[in-house]
Amino acid sequence: MSNRWNLPDLGIGVGLRTVHFPHILSARPQVEWFEVLSENFMDTEGRPLRVLDQVVERYPIALHGVSLSIGSTDPLDFEYLKKLKALAGRTRAHWVSDHLCWTGVMGRNVHDLLPMPYSEEALAHTIARVRTVSEVLERPLVLENPSSYVEFAQSTMREWEFLARLAEDSDCGLLLDVNNVYVSAFNHGFDANAYIDALPADRVVQYHLAGHTHMGTHIVDTHSDHARPEVWELYARSVARTGLVSTLYEWDEDIPEFDVVLAEARKAAAYRAALAAPPALAAAR
Amino acid sequence: MQAAVVHPGDIEKALASPLARREIARADVDAVILPSATLTPAQRVSVYQNMYLLRMEEALGSDYPGLKHFLGDDAFFSLVRDYVQVHPSRSYTLNRLGDKLPDFVAVAPDVRRRDFCADLARLERALSQVFDAPETKALDASAIDAVAPEAWETARLTPIAAFRLLALRYPASAYMDTLDDEQHRHPPARRRDTYVAVYRREYSVYRHDLARGAHDLLADLVAGKPLGRAVAAALRRGGRKRPQPDDLFRWFRQWVAAGIFARVDL
Repeated sequence: MSNRWNLPDLGIGVGLRTVHFPHILSARPQVEWFEVLSENFMDTEGRPLRVLDQVVERYPIALHGVSLSIGSTDPLDFEYLKKLKALAGRTRAHWVSDHLCWTGVMGRNVHDLLPMPYSEEALAHTIARVRTVSEVLERPLVLENPSSYVEFAQSTMREWEFLARLAEDSDCGLLLDVNNVYVSAFNHGFDANAYIDALPADRVVQYHLAGHTHMGTHIVDTHSDHARPEVWELYARSVARTGLVSTLYEWDEDIPEFDVVLAEARKAAAYRAALAAPPALAAAR
Repeated sequence: MQAAVVHPGDIEKALASPLARREIARADVDAVILPSATLTPAQRVSVYQNMYLLRMEEALGSDYPGLKHFLGDDAFFSLVRDYVQVHPSRSYTLNRLGDKLPDFVAVAPDVRRRDFCADLARLERALSQVFDAPETKALDASAIDAVAPEAWETARLTPIAAFRLLALRYPASAYMDTLDDEQHRHPPARRRDTYVAVYRREYSVYRHDLARGAHDLLADLVAGKPLGRAVAAALRRGGRKRPQPDDLFRWFRQWVAAGIFARVDL
């Protein structure tokens, strides 16, 4: 199954991080694509943008943001959207993603991905904003499910229901972070498989995988380690529904050598290969 | 929730703060946030609260490594905690978070060697600005050679965008030179006028220490003063340390070679 926009399966990629710039430019590693953190390149004309231009010459790119604040009650920041659109054009980004969250209200930005109450009112509010953003960007916005540590009493539906309805009614794509599903499932006590199974498969245009930190009482989405086997199992379950979808590994704390991150990302290849050649089909040959 | 997340005190004080009470109206936090199997609503909010200051500290520590090194981790964290209460982020980017830190440090009551720290922060702010500044093509030697000798008297020079000139009261640049010294052999933070040009060339940022006369001449030039008047003023200034014509030519050649001028208007 391909996604409804026929956005390409870019294969297995990793997040572009500053500490890896020298290696990427000199060694030209065999990685299929990079995800670029939008805000790191929107307000600089220095070395980061120069490096990004060189990366774009050699690798496919998707943009991933953390400051859209799609769920906030503050007005959308059109100056931000203008810069984001320009960066997407400059990098020939295959898509532009951000998170289902809010990052601040009343003009402040706490620079965190704060969860929303999953209510009808919040859903209508977010649908309208997604439509506006997609119009401005002239492309479907792609939204990622967040990891979260609180749930609101006023929520009237589960996160996956909210996300599925948001995607259908606003016509946005989904970036499914299976580690976030695992983290939130533990923190809130829901069934991660039910989450995976409820999302509209043809709207998933990208996967995120990452490591997390178990604090005993809760799990924090630290992006500081290898992915747990349970997360890979969720990935396998979801890939079986969606088909081959661009997959990316995120490592943001205690970042190791590039090849370590790439090796972790490439674990996804086994799941993708199993999908590309189903056992029944292979036996029939 | 936001008011509790950004509150510098413990979570109970944060949730009881006037701003937090206003955000959640008269409702108790337990009526707004659900408990988990292992955490109370307040404990769940505190996960975000704990991460907030760490994130602010990481962002400002990245922009102000010298200041953080001088103050030490604990004092720097306290400074960040106080700073973001007064100047929280109001931008989509953390790159602007530290814009007001030098001015904040200059009047912060609890910062040791405050005046030195303020100069260090000014220098590091300039380094950050230059790092991100627009890229402008520098004048090369051939463009300089093409100017007729008689035209220099009234010529005006414009610096590249990635250029800052600082007059400091402490040796902040010398301190930055020793930042990676594992033996902590730093210059004393004693009062001494210093002058620094900060610029970017080929996407690398440089600091160039200047003599007082060189700073004053360069300040006149980047302010748009015609070269002839700027040079005349430089030769009048300085008392016993008055620069000689040879000094001015040497400085000018260095600045052109460093690529700090973008344009010459005749």
